[in-house]
Amino acid sequence: MSVETSDVRLERYDLSTAPFGAMVGIGRAALIVVPLILWELCSRFGLINGFLFPPPSMILYKLWVQSGPIGNPPYAIWWHVAYSMLRLLSGITLAVGIGTLIGVALGMSRRARLVFQPIISILMPVPTLAWTPVLLLLIGIDNRTTILVVFLAAVFEMIYIVASGIEMMNVKMLWVAQSMGATRWQIFWRVIIPGIFPYLITGTRLGTGYAWRALIAAEMLAASSYGLGFMIYDASEYMNMDVIYGGVMLIAVLGYVLENVLIGKIEAATTEKWGVLNER
Amino acid sequence: MSVDTARILPLRNGAGTNPKIVAKNIQKYFGNVLAMEDISCSINEREFVAIIGPSGCGKSTFLYLIAGFEKASHGELLINNVPITGPGPDRGIVFQEFVLFPWLTVLRNVTLGLDIKGVQRQEAEERARKWIRLTGLSGFEDAYPSTLSGGMKQRVAIARALTYDPEVLLLDEPFGALDVQTKNYMIQDLQNLWLEANRTIVMITHSVSEAVQLADRVLVLSSRPSRIIADVAIKLPHPRDLRDPLLRRHEDEITAILSAEVDKAMSLERQASAKAERRGS
Ligand SMILES: Nc1ncnc2c1ncn2[C@@H]1O[C@H](COP(=O)(O)OP(=O)(O)OP(=O)(O)O)[C@@H](O)[C@H]1O
Ligand SMILES: [Mg+2]
Repeated sequence: MSVETSDVRLERYDLSTAPFGAMVGIGRAALIVVPLILWELCSRFGLINGFLFPPPSMILYKLWVQSGPIGNPPYAIWWHVAYSMLRLLSGITLAVGIGTLIGVALGMSRRARLVFQPIISILMPVPTLAWTPVLLLLIGIDNRTTILVVFLAAVFEMIYIVASGIEMMNVKMLWVAQSMGATRWQIFWRVIIPGIFPYLITGTRLGTGYAWRALIAAEMLAASSYGLGFMIYDASEYMNMDVIYGGVMLIAVLGYVLENVLIGKIEAATTEKWGVLNER
Repeated sequence: MSVDTARILPLRNGAGTNPKIVAKNIQKYFGNVLAMEDISCSINEREFVAIIGPSGCGKSTFLYLIAGFEKASHGELLINNVPITGPGPDRGIVFQEFVLFPWLTVLRNVTLGLDIKGVQRQEAEERARKWIRLTGLSGFEDAYPSTLSGGMKQRVAIARALTYDPEVLLLDEPFGALDVQTKNYMIQDLQNLWLEANRTIVMITHSVSEAVQLADRVLVLSSRPSRIIADVAIKLPHPRDLRDPLLRRHEDEITAILSAEVDKAMSLERQASAKAERRGS
């Protein structure tokens, strides 16, 4: 791993070369803005069912009202987002921590790999939502259930990617540290963790994506008062279409911010600065 | 890299007579491929030993055995009369492929050995900067390895091994990626270091002139499975002039041994593959 790529990574940079880059930017924005305008107009002029498809401006207005003091409950959107984020971040933190430990253990030991590979391969494709009823029975409607769903959605990807990251690591890096007298602890923090960092980022990115989707679904089943999934579910009971669409938009935007902006920032500060390739 | 450090030092303190590293009948298999047949040698304290041999004969492997990264299949390998059981900070290595840490800047790569030891940041940086300067890397302290050329990476690897000051330096073709001029400076610096610091150095090289210029002894390995086919002592004062006829004699002698060995190995290999071809057709 850690392929040095100062000259290989062309396609990541050609986006920013103006004026081509500017055109791509305009195209990207247009693909989002134009359909929204069409939707707005069709809905306003009665070309489509205004109840099933309320105009985007109404949806945004609803989001605005619901985020303010006259929302029901006051500042509702903030609470829903905060609860979802809290669950997501707790679950992801657990998944990254535990997944990394297990992944490193598997990556370092051929025997452990032989023993655990099959069970992980069997569990990995199980949709996380399939666990939700079990967790509901075991734990009940509680934050712990949704956090566990997030954990399960992300942890297998994490284990898998970290273990393959270790396998790809140049064993001579460990040798260098050992010949400097490094302890196991120092080797773990100073060599293994930074050495698999590209894989950690990729695992976290993919895991966050899976977990975000699973969380929203799980909140529909297993949240009692807050969370974006709950908000949508609750709104569907009262046929509040604008809240439903608002929820979907928020989920999309937050998912994008999490996966690309937040993790992108970490990436820029680490692997991109070091000039090592991120596995994608 | 200071030219003026090339002082006229007639004879160094001289290699000690205490054996530092002793190899007895080392044999090394990779699976069922025999890489080393029988290596026995003794390297004294403060001795500079160069190892030379055909490509793929097991030179790097021998260094990894001394470093403790790999285990010999048979035989005994001692350091300070104690069997080598694993890597340790008494032996520093410069890999043929450098093996820098891409997430650390040049300075942090070089201080790593001291950081691991728990040496104060400031002292570690001071000692690192000395070697960064001597390897001609000043101004690149904050660069990441991915932005360096091959030769610069190699110099970082050399600086990294020298900074934490191990008793034994294991160098695997340490000048392989350098141009002749830079190499000459580095050779001089390595020589001065070793004259001052009294380290034991085992250096692998493909260059006979490099070997005779630097080493007290040159070990010539046969092609795989390897044995030691010559052990040439070079008893000339340092610094050595490559035009010195005595040095030239050693150079010619070793070159002759080496090319005879390569010729033999190549003709054997050709015969074997010709035989295999005949059998195949
Ligand atoms: N981990 C390994 N597994 C299997 N075979 C190996 C391994 N390491 C080395 N070998 C084999 O052992 C032999 C010696 O390898 P080594 O790298 O020590 O050669 P070398 O003398 O350093 O060659 P060069 O001069 O090209 O660097 C080679 O034939 C190589 O294929
Ligand atoms: Mg080699």
